[in-house]
Parts: sequence; C-alpha cells; structure tokens
Amino acid sequence: MRLPQYFLFRLLQMIPIALFIVVINFALIHIAPGDVSILLAGEGADPAYMQSVREAYGLDRPLYQQLGAYLGQVLQGDLGLSFRTREPVIDIIAERIPATLLLAGTSLVLASVAGVVIGALVARRPGSAMDTAVTTLSISLFSIPVFWLGLMLILLFAVTLRWLPSSGMMSIAGPREGIGHVLDIARHMVLPVVALSAVWLGQYVRLSRASVSETLAEPYVTTARAIGYPERRVMSRFALRNAMLPIVTVLGLELGMLLSGAVLTETVFSWPGLGRLIYEAILSRDTPVIMGAFLIMSFTVMLAALLTDLLYAALDPRVSL
Amino acid sequence: MNMRLPTLVAALLALPAAAAMAETTLVMPQQDEPRTLSPAPSSDTGGHGPTSNIYSHLVVMDWGIVEGVAAYGDLAESWDVSDDGLTYTFHLHPDAKWHDGEPVTSEDVKFTYDRIMEKGYTFSSFLRDVDSIETPDDQTVVITLTKPNMAFLPMMAQGAQWTGKIYPEHLWADEDGFDTGPYVNEPVGSGPYKFVRWDKGSAVVLEANEDYFRGPPEVDTLIFRTIPDANVARAEFEAGQFPYLPFNYAPPWAEAPIFEEAPEINVVYTPSHFSRDLQLNLNHEALGNPKVREAIAYAMDREAMNRIAFNNSWTPGYYAGVSSQQKWINEEARFPEHDKEKAEALLDEAGFPRGEDGWRFKVSVTGPNISDCSAITEILVRQLRDVGIEAELARFDQSTWFSRIQEKQFDISCYFGRYGPDPDAYREHFSTDGARNFMSYSDPELDELAAEANTITDEEKRKEMYGRIQEIIVRDMPYINVFEEQKMSLVRPGWTGFAVMPDGFNTSISWFGTYAVKPPAE
Repeated sequence: MRLPQYFLFRLLQMIPIALFIVVINFALIHIAPGDVSILLAGEGADPAYMQSVREAYGLDRPLYQQLGAYLGQVLQGDLGLSFRTREPVIDIIAERIPATLLLAGTSLVLASVAGVVIGALVARRPGSAMDTAVTTLSISLFSIPVFWLGLMLILLFAVTLRWLPSSGMMSIAGPREGIGHVLDIARHMVLPVVALSAVWLGQYVRLSRASVSETLAEPYVTTARAIGYPERRVMSRFALRNAMLPIVTVLGLELGMLLSGAVLTETVFSWPGLGRLIYEAILSRDTPVIMGAFLIMSFTVMLAALLTDLLYAALDPRVSL
Repeated sequence: MNMRLPTLVAALLALPAAAAMAETTLVMPQQDEPRTLSPAPSSDTGGHGPTSNIYSHLVVMDWGIVEGVAAYGDLAESWDVSDDGLTYTFHLHPDAKWHDGEPVTSEDVKFTYDRIMEKGYTFSSFLRDVDSIETPDDQTVVITLTKPNMAFLPMMAQGAQWTGKIYPEHLWADEDGFDTGPYVNEPVGSGPYKFVRWDKGSAVVLEANEDYFRGPPEVDTLIFRTIPDANVARAEFEAGQFPYLPFNYAPPWAEAPIFEEAPEINVVYTPSHFSRDLQLNLNHEALGNPKVREAIAYAMDREAMNRIAFNNSWTPGYYAGVSSQQKWINEEARFPEHDKEKAEALLDEAGFPRGEDGWRFKVSVTGPNISDCSAITEILVRQLRDVGIEAELARFDQSTWFSRIQEKQFDISCYFGRYGPDPDAYREHFSTDGARNFMSYSDPELDELAAEANTITDEEKRKEMYGRIQEIIVRDMPYINVFEEQKMSLVRPGWTGFAVMPDGFNTSISWFGTYAVKPPAE
C-alpha cells in the first residue's frame, strides 16, 4: 500500500473507533450512581429543583435517547455545554490543553532523551558499579509514587530552602508578558517537571539499557568494531538505531497518554491542566466534559499509534506499510 | 550550552517571587476551582469564597451563629416583622452602591428574588412561603408570606451564603437567567471587593472596593487560590505563603497539640450548629427494632472516640441538640452513656442473640467523605463488633454516598445533623416527609408538633414544643447524636478578623466573608 493511501485509511479507521469509545464511555459514566443535579442543588437539596435540573439537562430521558442525541451532536463537531459552567466543552478543554502539553511534553522529552542517553552509556559496561547504581536508582524512581515525590520536592525546595515556588503555573501578581512572564512560568515548571520526568526517566533508562546491551552483543556490532569503526560511530549508527524500536514503541504509547498522564502531578502542584479538569469533572458528574475530554484523549492515543507506525517504517527498512 | 546552564539556573533562582508590594495582599487557599462566578444557579463550593466577597446579601449569617445569632443585616440595615408574623419590612442601607457606581435599590432585591423563584434556583426553597415582594420606595422591601414561618428569616440568612446574593437589575434584566451573559464570570456586585481577574485553574483576584458602604476593607488585594491537595496547602501555610489555613484543609485532630505549641501558629477552634450523628435506616431488619437502636446507643463509647480521634477536643453529644443552640435544648431528653453489658443484654432481649460464630447480625457503616466522619465510623465499627454486631465499613465518594442515603441504600451512616439557625431544622430531619429524613422515620405526633411549632411566634411555647420533639426522638432513636461539630483552623499571629474568629462575628459578612480581616500592625 502506498503511504498516502495508508494514511487516509488509518484516519478513516479512527471514526468508528472513536464512536465505539463514545458509547463505552457513555455506558460507564451512567453505571456510576448519582448525577449532576445533586451537586448543583447543594445544601437545600430541594427535590423539585433537582428534578428541574434533570429536565433542563435532558437527564430525565431514556438513556438511549440521551446517547443518540449526544452522538448526533458529536458528529456535527459539537461537544455540548458543560453541566457545571454552561460553557462550550470544546472551549473549556482547549483552555487547559496548553498547560498540560507544556508540563507533560517537557517532561516526556526530558525523560526520554536523558533516559536513552544514560541507558546507552551504562549498557556499554554491564555489571560495573556505575551500571548497578544507575539500575537501582532507576528502579527506585520508577516505583516512587509521583504525588509523594512531588510533595517531598515541595517540602525541600519550596518550604525549607524557598528556592522555588511550590505550586501553580505563574505568580498571581507576577508579570503577564515578555521575558519576565516566561521566566516566571519556567520557575514554576521546575518542580513538577522534575517530579513527572523522574518517574518516566527510570523507565527509559531501563528500557534503553536492556535494548542497547542486547544489540551490542549482535554479530554485526562485533563486525563493525572489527572493521575498525570508531566506538562513537558503532554506538550511534549500529547499536542505538537498532535499539530504538522498543523505545519508540513505549514513547508512542506515552505520547498518547500525554494529555491524561499527569492528573496526580497536576493535582499536587495545582497545575491548571487537563488532568485536573477531568478529575474535577468526574467528581461533579459533569458528563459532557468527561466525554469530551475522553474523546479528545482517544484521538491523541490513535494519532500517537499512527505516528509510531510511521516511525517504525522510517527506522526499520524491513517494516513496510 | 553547558557553560550557560548554571547561569540560567542562577537567574531563575534569583528572580523574586513577585514584585514587592507595599499594599496588603491576602491569599485564601481553597480546594475547588469555582464553576462560575454567578452564585444563584447552583451551589458551588469553589465559588462561595469569591462571590461572597463580591456580592452583598439582603440578610446573612456568619460564624456568630455559635453565639446563637440567627441573622445579621447586610444590605438590610434593619427590619420589622408584623405581629402576625406574615409581613417582613426591610430597610436598606442608603449608601450601598454597585461596583459600577449605580445605587443599590429595593428593585434590585425584588428583581433577584423574583427571578430566583421564577427559575426555581436552589435559593427558591427558602422563598417557598413568599406571597409577594413589594418596593414602596428605593430603600424599602416588603416581603409578605402566605403563612407564618418562624424559620423564614434565619434560613434565608443561612441560604444567602451560598446561593442567595443580590444581583444588579440594570445589568441582568435582559439576560434569560443568572447563568448567561457577560456578567456570569465578570461579576459586578455591591460587596467589599471588586472582581479583577480569574485565571482559570489557578486563582480569582479581587481588589478592595473603596466605595463600599461600610467603608473600604483593610486588605487591598484578595486572592482565592485553588490548591486541591491538602498536604500542599499545609506545607505552603507552614512556609508562610498565606496567613490562614481554613478548616477544610486542617491537619488531623491528633496533631493539634503540635500546632498549639508552635509559637508562629494560632489554632482557632470554632463550634457550629451542626452535629456528627448516626442515621439508622429503619428499613433494616435489625435496626427497625427500637431495642437494637437503643443497644447501639449503649454500645457506642463517645469518650473513647474523642480520645482516639479528636485529641479530646470535641464535645460529646448526649442531647438531641448542640450547645450553640443551647436555648432550644431539652436536657431531660438524653442519649444513654456507654454501657457494654446493657447493650449486649438489650440485643439478646431484642431477639438477636450471638450465633455460633459470635455474630448477632450484619450492618454496613458508611458516611460522607469528610475526615471526622471517617474517624468516627472506623471506631464505631470496632465498638459495634465488640458487642457482637458484625459491622463493616463501606466508603464512597461524596456524591455516591449522598445518592445512596437518599435512595435509602445504607444501614448506618455518619451524618452532619443541623439544629440551627432555627429549630425548624427538626422538621427537616425527623418529620415523615422531611428532606433530610433518610431514616424512613415517621411519628404522627412529631409531624404535627413540628408543623405547628414553625408557625408560633411565642418563643416559650415553641421551646416547649421542640422540647417534646426531642423527647420523642430520644425515645425512638432513629438517629443517635455523637458529637457537636468543631472546626479547627490555623492562623498566623497578628492577623485578626477571619470569619471563624470571634472578632470576625457580625463583620465578616457570611461564612466566606473576609471584610473583617486585618493584617498585623506594622
């Protein structure tokens, strides 16, 4: 199959998958007890008011009708209005995406690049003291819960040493434009990025170490060394390139999780991103926001999978699309 | 690049946290992000803080409730009630102005309440008995009721904190409801602070209203910052990022002694008009038996709970009431004290002897997702198991728990019973069709008494009737009072006037108000 055709085919494939995801999400959300009327009514909890909320939001209609109406809307590109704020869901989500991309994207790039380099370096001397230290450290990092690590970083760097701000994305009274604004966000990013990338880093170090040491044992590497290629060339051209496939797979999976993977980090650091939006929406049964966010997340997962497949083809001539 | 990195890091670290401000800024942490900044359409835990400081109320309540005051005037400077209890005449403050400079008039009050009733927003349940609202002049609002309702004013004052704030008619008249249009998230009110900016996901920024009719507040900039994680909020409080840690972030009660010893922190305890109690589902096979309920009251050891969970700082609740509503308490009606043998004997008598495995029957114990109820239920389960009741803990998130108790899918639940601002609360909890009667309790005498007591203006007579109601409840025990609620907040020394502190009573303007807050003297 030729590339444009393949690309088009994969894109078209996303539509039925997305619809299937919508139906599953819809069913799951409606299995959970309680609905938005309870939370909107609050302390009076007047049954008449709760009923009027249900009617206003169409929650009194049979489920299949609600689902049908929602699907019709989504096919026209309309994700509906939030139950809580009455604002368009698409705007609410769009407002939160940059913060999440900034945090998760920076962390992912940092973790994957540093992880691959460190892993490749220690793979050259398996069993050395350095290797043991790095391996132990990476297992520890991988198994630390991110909310705990985040809290410890806050206690050390924000509370005790007072070098960095503890939470939020920018100073409330700080500059809103220019270099001051950028530096302000950068300062606020340090701790959450460190926390989030530390957890991912451990994974990449282990993956890259295993993968590189495996390829280093391959006959073609021995051959390349025998020919007399400099070690740097052997590493970059023969070992790393072949070791990249499993790493790209994991990277692709995580790229798909980019929008959703930082819920805990965003909560601990009061980061105004999508993860926290979803968390709040779930707690308050804001179905349109939950559905919309899941739909957009499922598209990122599918796009990331497509991207991974394309990268495979570029990295490995044996893979054809 | 390697050369530059340390320089960059140094530059980042050296950047001051914020430009030095000569003015006073108060940061108030809160757990939830506001949904909107329009208070009427829905109860909104994240919105109450900002909107209570931006908007004014007709009448309002604050923590002065613990001294027994049921309602304070806000826009209403004073009010008269007719002898038949049907006509309320409110006299508005003549100097009150909207943030855009227009005067606040009686028309605004009428417009707001009419629309709330027309739309059926949650505050309309407090206006249910309103027959008409008239505005003879700009400073007078006359509300006529269809029948006397002694709880009308106190409940209106309490509800105003959440969803009963007054909107400017000249800005909202053309909108379809209080949830559409430009002023939903850029509110114009008449309160002590003006809206400046809302950074979604981060903070709502307000500034002092220099033209406030009570005079400008001492704090110049008021910021409500969203901090979802309680541990982070505590860490930031300890680092001095803000002077006040509200009770919903408070550390576990067991840690209270540590804070009491710290010189740089003042611990503020505030009682309330709520209790922590147990609701018993009378549809349950065993709990339907009055002897079993009595046995549970005997099995429960409030002193042990207090020691283990609350550092002995809560007041055990043996009456069907709380101390802040002392004048309504009937001290003759008292729940039994801990007596394990008595509990076991009653259970045997009730026909639930211990089986071969040692258990009498099964109950599931649940409660709202708040830390004190979690502590109470954990200990209660042990105490019930001690007398042979196979109790198990069941936990849910807040909305699941709430829908379960409404659908009566529970056996025993911890609950926050309310006894004020008016004793009409008994009707809400215990009358057959009461909105908070999750127990399926029904007693014809109580129904009649509660309905009548709400219409009687003679306080002595009311007191007698509510006394009888308490006797009936303690006789039947559809619920068991456990503790009087107590809040713990932390304040930096020098700061005064937070709503939970006595010097904030009557001047905070609502539970969420900060008008009375004063920074430390220079």
